[in-house]
Formats: sequence, C-alpha cells, structure tokens
Amino acid sequence: MSAKRRQRTPNGKKTPVTTDLNATYTPPPTAAKSPQGPESAKKAKLTAIYAALNSDPVDVAALRKLAISRGGLLTDEIRRKAWPKLLNVNVFDPPPKLKMPIEEHRDYNQVVLDVNRSLKRFPPGMQDEQREVLQDQLVDVIVRVLINNDQLHYYQGYHDIVVTFLLVVGKEKSFSLVDKLSTHHLRDFMDRTMDRTKHMLNYLLPIIRKANPKLHDFMERSEVGYVFALAWLITWYGHVLNDFHSILRLYDFFLACHPLMPVYLAAAIVLEREADVLAVECDMAFVHSLLSRIPDNLPMEELVIKAGDLFVQYPPHEMAKEAQLQYNKSSAITKHKELEGNLRGQRPDTVLRRLQGQAGGQAQAGSKQSNRVVKVAVWAISAGIGAAALAVLNSAMEFWV
Amino acid sequence: MEPGKEQANGRGATDPNDKNRRIFKIIVIGDSNVGKTCLTYRFCGGEFPEKTEATIGVDFREKNVTIEGETVKINPIIKWHLSLVCLPLQLQLWDTAGQERFRKSMVQHYYRNVHAVIFVYDVTKMSTFESLPTWIDECDRHSLSPDTPRVLVGNKCDMADRKVVTSGIAQKFSDANNMPFFETAAKLEEEGDKINNVFMTLAHKLRDHKSMMPPPFDEADSRDSRGKSIKLRPNKAELDGDDDQPSDSSCAC
Repeated sequence: MSAKRRQRTPNGKKTPVTTDLNATYTPPPTAAKSPQGPESAKKAKLTAIYAALNSDPVDVAALRKLAISRGGLLTDEIRRKAWPKLLNVNVFDPPPKLKMPIEEHRDYNQVVLDVNRSLKRFPPGMQDEQREVLQDQLVDVIVRVLINNDQLHYYQGYHDIVVTFLLVVGKEKSFSLVDKLSTHHLRDFMDRTMDRTKHMLNYLLPIIRKANPKLHDFMERSEVGYVFALAWLITWYGHVLNDFHSILRLYDFFLACHPLMPVYLAAAIVLEREADVLAVECDMAFVHSLLSRIPDNLPMEELVIKAGDLFVQYPPHEMAKEAQLQYNKSSAITKHKELEGNLRGQRPDTVLRRLQGQAGGQAQAGSKQSNRVVKVAVWAISAGIGAAALAVLNSAMEFWV
Repeated sequence: MEPGKEQANGRGATDPNDKNRRIFKIIVIGDSNVGKTCLTYRFCGGEFPEKTEATIGVDFREKNVTIEGETVKINPIIKWHLSLVCLPLQLQLWDTAGQERFRKSMVQHYYRNVHAVIFVYDVTKMSTFESLPTWIDECDRHSLSPDTPRVLVGNKCDMADRKVVTSGIAQKFSDANNMPFFETAAKLEEEGDKINNVFMTLAHKLRDHKSMMPPPFDEADSRDSRGKSIKLRPNKAELDGDDDQPSDSSCAC
C-alpha cells in the first residue's frame, strides 16, 4: 500500500482527496491482517483512482499507473470515467454529423456479417432482444467511426474491440473513445492493406529472441511466423480470451500504454509457455496450433508485469534498430507520442459537465511541458519492475521524452 | 531391391498411432461468411461451436484418418508381398479469413507446401460463387501446381428456399475446373457423413496423387522444419513401389 502512496506523489499533494487517501493508508494494526488485505488494498486503489479523476487537472499519470497495476481499473463504473481520460477524450463534446447513411459505407456489409456472428462476445444469458439491440448499436458505432474517418478501413477483429467498449461505456461514449483509438493505437491496423500490421508483429520474434534465444531458435526453425498472434494484437485479445474481465483488465493496461504493448504481452505469453512450446514437434502446424489458443488459466496479472518489464528492457526503438524495422513508419507510434503530449491538463468530468454548452476549447488546457513525470510514472509500478528493468529505465525514458 | 529399401528404412507397415503418419496440409478458402469454419469444425469432429465467429487470420484444425491403401510388407519368411492396410493420415486444415485484406498479406504463408485446396461458396449468395475464379487465381498466384487436388463445396444447403446458385451451374463450373463438387449444410448435424465424404474424397485423391508425396530427400534435409518429412518417407516408398510396379509386386506375392 505504501507503494500506492509512492505512485501518487507526482500530483497527489495538490488535491484535497489526498487526505482521504492518507486516512485509508493508516488503518488500525488489526485491520492489516491478511484476510482483509486484498479488500483493503482494493478500497485504497478505488480511492486513489477517484482522487486522480477528481483532481484538476486530472492526474493522468496516476491514472495510468493505476490502470496498469494489479487489477487494472477494477470496475466498469470507473472505466466509464477513466478510459476517456486515458485517451484525452471529452465525452461531453457533441458527436460529429454523419456525412452519409451508414448503409452506404463501403465496409457496411462486412461489418454486418461479422457483427451478426459475434454472439460469443455478449454476456451468456443475455436476452436475444437485448443482444440484438446491442448488435445494431455495434454496427452503428463501427460504421459511424469509419464514416467520420474516411482514411480508415474496417478489418475483421475491429468489431471485437468495439464491442468491448460498447458493453462497458455504452453507445455514445464508445463512439468518441473508439474514434480516438482508431486514429491512434489502432491506426496501423486500419490501412487499406495489412503491411503496417505486419510491421508491428515484426517486433514479436526479436523480443522473444532477446529474452529467450533457445525458444526463439525453436520457433524460427518451426517456421511458425507470427500469425498466431495476429488476432491477439488486432483485437487486443478480445477475440481470444474467454473471460470478459480479463479482457477489460487488459484494455485498462493497453489504454495506459504504448501501442506496441499488446505485442510485448504476446511475447510474455509465449515466454510463459516455453515448456509447452518446446514439447511439441518443431513444425509450423503444431506450434501455431499450440500458441494460437491461449489457455484460460494463464497468470494474467504476472504477464502484464512481465510485458512491462520486457518493454523497459527491450524498448521498441531499440528493437526496431536490431530487427531493422522502421520505427517511425508506424502511425500508431508517432500519433501516440502526440497523444502523450496532450494527456496532461484534462479537466475532471465535474468541470467538463459545467462547461458543456459553452464554447469549447478550454477543456484542452494542454500544457505541453515536459511529460517526463507521466512517463516515468507509467513504469514506476511498484511490483512491476525488476532490477534489470530499473537499470535501463533511464534509457527508456530518453525515448519517451 | 525393394525389400532392401524397406529394411534400410527399418520400418514395416504403419500402425494408426505411428508417429510416421503422412501429413497433408489442406487450405480452406472462400469469401467471408460462407461457412468455412463450420465445415472444418464439423469434419474435425471436436466440439461443435454453437457460435462461430469471423476467423481472424488463420485457424488450424486437424483430424487423423485412416484409409485403405496398399503397402509393401515383409513377411516372416523374408518374402515380401503386397497387402491391404489402413494408412494413417493426418489432415491438417488451415481455415482462413475471408476478408480480402487478410488473404492479401497474412494468408500467403499458408499456401506454401499445401497439398490440397477446398473452395467454399454459399449457395444462397451468388457473389460468393462469382468470386471463385478470383480464389482460383489466388492459388495460381501462389504457384500451386495445377495438379494439386481441389474440391468445390457449396455450403448452406439447409436454406433451400434461398438457394440461388443452382447445382447445375456449380457442377458445370467444377467440371470445367476439374474438381469434385459437393453440396453441404455444415450447420446440420445429420450432414456429418456428407461432410466426411468431402474430406475422404480428398484423402483418397491425396493418397493416389504422386505429386502429393512428401518432398524428396535433399529438399527435406535442407530444412529442419521439414524433418518429419524424412520420417514419412517409408510410406512414400511403399506407395511409390505400389504405383510403379503393381504387376511385378503382384507376381512376387
């Protein structure tokens, strides 16, 4: 818990809520007994999240740390408030006018085909009528984003991402969030071709090589390639994980991180499964078949930490150099730098709500002052960084800044 | 000479659990939502997904089958003869995404070393039938030999009232392209046998097809990943022997 306090230091003292937080940090000694441990940790985290959300400007640095650390953002209610801040989206902005009827969009038919058979993505036991309403909304949100951004092309799997937002934040907010996400984190997947998606996947094997040359050698000999991880990356694991809570937890993580983080998580998953991989025949089919199915019982929280460690140890720009990848070719990456710069200075929802209706603009008080603090904070997760990772934190920061 | 070959390989007839089963890679292609995933699930017999979803990239499924085949066998009195045995085969099915963007960049990898192709269209949707020439071109572009066994499947026949691609026109197309033609309803459980037929027809074609034999020694040795092809070779030798000199072999019996 002291770690949480440490995380909050960058902005914490500015907000009155800090006092409340401190109160939760000094429970009577008896309350610290282990059975109540997880509960009280969760309570402290909730308080910390609300503190970050309510401070003015919003403490995005703290919010990102909290989204990354164990359990992510905890509840859907928080996600509805925090996800927009992680993407610098003002949910009170009115949605743009549609330039054409959605049925006329070039990708409309494909979207309908995919959404109609996306039943598995909805909670089991949901009434058919209710699900059908949501499916209609899903088509609507997807195509509206596509119409709003003519340069974007729909890909199969995009619907797996959008449905996650729809189920958590509802139709209107999911439009603004997905609209932003699509021009940033997901941008490379939405070209006319998949060249830049391949480019992102090209980071996967070099990361594995760095972390475990033996496993990498085996995979290379099997010629398995990286397509087993394609659905992981382009759906942010929404297509491949059965447990909706795990998916949400990962979305918290990815929304707070660099667009390549899903690839680092893929590396962490493969590394975790080393023994399984080495036990199968060294052949594309066997290795692909094994890896493409993610077991339900993987220790997701540990893998999140592992992915963070890998990111710090083998940062993208270094991997790019080694693997002769063109780092800046990625729009997702270059746009992310821009987003990073704009995250600070967001106003809390209470203020935004008050400002709603007035001439816009002030919500983005956007100080572009050094965002070094934000960036360090993202990786200064208490348990999240091993000693080796700390040693290279500085060089990673040079990249960030 | 032939027995010598057998002995050199140190193997007799294969048994179904033999790790040296012959492996055939089959790629399943066709437009989005024609039922490729349903079809392969139905054949592979595992748990049938009530809710199939869009395939992203490539999915892999497999099924071990045995088919009758002739093989050269050494009998205890050092004589050798032909006998009928069950040949274990593993059919590896690569179920692909239908969306164009995937086939243009992600799926190509899976055309390599493919032994057979299944083209699927939806009998209720003309456009999926009209796309077939594009899919055939796609195979040609990936330099699949024209001899590579191919099968045409018109799926979703359970929706008879919405059928727009008549059996006649599809049959004509399949004849012109020299491939067997099947109509299926992968959604229906009772169609299992019919779907089995599709794949077993292919399995027989593969067994009989010389160009489908595992790669020759030097090629196989040049790549580690094809190591298993070396293990498969005894079967190839057996079958080659059968095909090459059936009368001689019969005489030897």
